[in-house]
Amino acid sequence: MVKDITFGQYYASKSVLHRLDPRIKLVLCLLMIVFLFVCRSFPALALMVVFTLVAVGFSSVHVKMIAKSIKPVAVILIFTAILNIFYTKGKYENGDSLVFTVLGRFEVWDKGLYTALFTMLRIISLVIISSLLTYTTTPTMLTDGLEKLLSPLKKLHIRVDTLAMMMTLALRFIPTLIEETDRIISAQKSRGADLDSGGLVKRAKALIPVFIPLMVSAFRRAYELAFAMTCRCYTGGDGRTRMKQMKIAPRDIICLVICLLVCGGVIALNIFFKKVI
Amino acid sequence: MSKAIEITNLTHKYTQSGAQEVVAVSDVNLSIEKGESIGIIGHTGSGKSTLISHFNGLLKPTSGDVVVDGTNIWADKETLRNARFKVGLCFQYPEYQLFEETVYKDIAFGPKNMKLSPEEIDERVLRAAEFTGISKSMLEKSPFELSGGEKRRAAIAGVIAMNPEVIVLDEPAAGLDPAGRKSLIDMIKAYRDSTGSTVIMVTHNMEDIARIAERLIVINRGKIALDGTVDEVFSRSDDLVQWGLKVPEITEVFTRLHNMGCNVPRGVYTVDEGVKILSRVMRGGAGLG
Repeated sequence: MVKDITFGQYYASKSVLHRLDPRIKLVLCLLMIVFLFVCRSFPALALMVVFTLVAVGFSSVHVKMIAKSIKPVAVILIFTAILNIFYTKGKYENGDSLVFTVLGRFEVWDKGLYTALFTMLRIISLVIISSLLTYTTTPTMLTDGLEKLLSPLKKLHIRVDTLAMMMTLALRFIPTLIEETDRIISAQKSRGADLDSGGLVKRAKALIPVFIPLMVSAFRRAYELAFAMTCRCYTGGDGRTRMKQMKIAPRDIICLVICLLVCGGVIALNIFFKKVI
Repeated sequence: MSKAIEITNLTHKYTQSGAQEVVAVSDVNLSIEKGESIGIIGHTGSGKSTLISHFNGLLKPTSGDVVVDGTNIWADKETLRNARFKVGLCFQYPEYQLFEETVYKDIAFGPKNMKLSPEEIDERVLRAAEFTGISKSMLEKSPFELSGGEKRRAAIAGVIAMNPEVIVLDEPAAGLDPAGRKSLIDMIKAYRDSTGSTVIMVTHNMEDIARIAERLIVINRGKIALDGTVDEVFSRSDDLVQWGLKVPEITEVFTRLHNMGCNVPRGVYTVDEGVKILSRVMRGGAGLG
């Protein structure tokens, strides 16, 4: 059950997207997410969807993995769609409006259907773009990129390197702790612990035998790791250099240009076509 | 009399991240009599742990049946719950499952889940503590204050306290020093001798298993490669090497001595037995007992 979490997982491959500079990737990922929300007309959104699909194509990440990353938000998707279908009423800016159909007490408006479709596409693209980032970038590269991007903050005496190291470690330990949780659950179930029945309070109480050993072992691992890091002379980020320096390659520039073109396209399509949202 | 555990055509598959299917256990048939003492051996990743997780219904078989004490454990929720208490499973490094404020309370966790009366729980905790050599003063301590070996004993006591008909131990002595190892194995032996319950032990350590088991099951690539008495299994040392295992070192020594023409038998599996035979030979007697 806990094993199904795909967040923060890396999908090993040597695609263009994998080789992109992590700094560029982070910035572009943020930019494209912002532009998903800049989209206000269907053609503009269509451009973003096409862009997302092309990105998936270039990433060589298996379609099944992409589908898996959408699965957890399915509930949110359905929920927003239903709310939008039944509760969005009103006219377009040019005065058009239409009641599409009536279901019992509810009126379904033309605009509601459009808005529902629009939001769904938007959320799906958002999830795909952000999971592409983690699928194609190792946690180490991601935090290295983030550290570099945030390095101007060092001037404000913020320990960016420490923050980045903490993030790397946190990401590194997600799969380990998931495995550990599974093990502890199995052990307590073997002693007759009942984790899947009863009310909310009973269930929360039933988690104590899982939670305490997990915390204890997380602390134990933290101490061991701190010791191992000290043994390898880690004294914090000061004066630490990297074996692999990040360099901007021509492909990074090309990607940047493509993304900027798409953004420009979105703005243009927003202006020339009817706004839905 | 019904069998303790009866497994027919058990197959377990799971999907790894990505998409490919892994067959961890494939078409295993196994029948365990009540009171047997069994050793399950196999190299790392051979599927032993997956197999034993089926004994008490932690894992659901992809296909096949698991029958404990005459009832199919997957029949309904109740039979599954009963299986958890009838088959006590003790995982590798069980000390990491300790969580209560005191050792006493932790050992009582299993019996409490069985909804026993407080008197019965008390009786079982004390009995389990006695078996595992946990003193009265230790029972009142926090489990996190104990030493590594003591924690291990406390965790095993937690399983014993459920009074299971079958006790399954996965690498019970892993990570202990030789003295701790020996006393733990002795403890399991004593427990078995006095209660007559079925003991199944999974291990890499051939010396340990030789001291406890009467029947050995060799697992290789999710299948039962060999199932027989200790003599039968350890006589096939070449096959064992091929499966990533070996015979106990003492057995190798005695086989060589035997082949060199010394007056000693071949099938010696424990050091204690070896010492006895050698001292008899040195006193001038016949080695063959």
